[in-house]
Amino acid sequence: MARMKFLCDADRCIECNACVTACKNEHEVPWGINRRRVVTLNDGKPGERSISMACMHCTDAPCAAVCPVNCFYTTADAVVLHSKDLCIGCGYCFYACPFGAPQYPRVGNFGSRGKMDKCTYCAGGPEADLSTAEYEKYGSNRLAEGKLPLCAEMCSTKSLLAGDGDVIAQIYKERVVRRGYGSGAWGWKTAYRETVAI
Amino acid sequence: MARDNAKAMDRRKFFGAVGGASSVAVAAAVSPLTATVAQAYDPGAEESKSRYRETEHVKTFYRTNGYETVRK
Repeated sequence: MARMKFLCDADRCIECNACVTACKNEHEVPWGINRRRVVTLNDGKPGERSISMACMHCTDAPCAAVCPVNCFYTTADAVVLHSKDLCIGCGYCFYACPFGAPQYPRVGNFGSRGKMDKCTYCAGGPEADLSTAEYEKYGSNRLAEGKLPLCAEMCSTKSLLAGDGDVIAQIYKERVVRRGYGSGAWGWKTAYRETVAI
Repeated sequence: MARDNAKAMDRRKFFGAVGGASSVAVAAAVSPLTATVAQAYDPGAEESKSRYRETEHVKTFYRTNGYETVRK
């Protein structure tokens, strides 16, 4: 069974933020929420690196471990999704997530933040595939349409990779063999707990 | 006056007895010992099934991201 993964090749990311914009547009993400963000390290200095970050769909997701209402579930594709019907907006998952993925539509205290929103790997939610209810809560379900997340598909520098972990690992390995080892497959060890043998 | 006090006492006893009985009933109803065990959210097989398919669209993505196009 294929396991869906994101891989940001930080040697190629030019911080254009097209992935962020594409995501917001595709899913009609509410105002104030970014499911994906581009983080730049050492901005303006030699060795500057930009990394496109969203939910990494962890193997042993810490958000799911701390959720008091158990609204998270992992699909057969290893995509971590959640039910907005169950979410109480407590914010625990935000504190647990090493990538800052969970977002909330409002600013406030416990319970007043609104339902948590995060990257769905363009795989919708627990509602019926490609239904209006699913779209309104979670955005489009591109995986059900036989496509991959739009952020990766429209990355102009082919920095952001998405899809079957084995395939994109092979693509990345091929790049590294050709150009040399640079920034590493950022976040993989944290999210997937795998030894990246490159 | 004494009779009024006696009456008042009776009323207090009455409400005490009723209140005591009802609080025991409420306590039994909300007691964690009698509550059902919390269930983890089970989305079901349909919601968590695999949706990924290696379509022509997906294959094109893999091909264009690899060095396949460079080699040709």
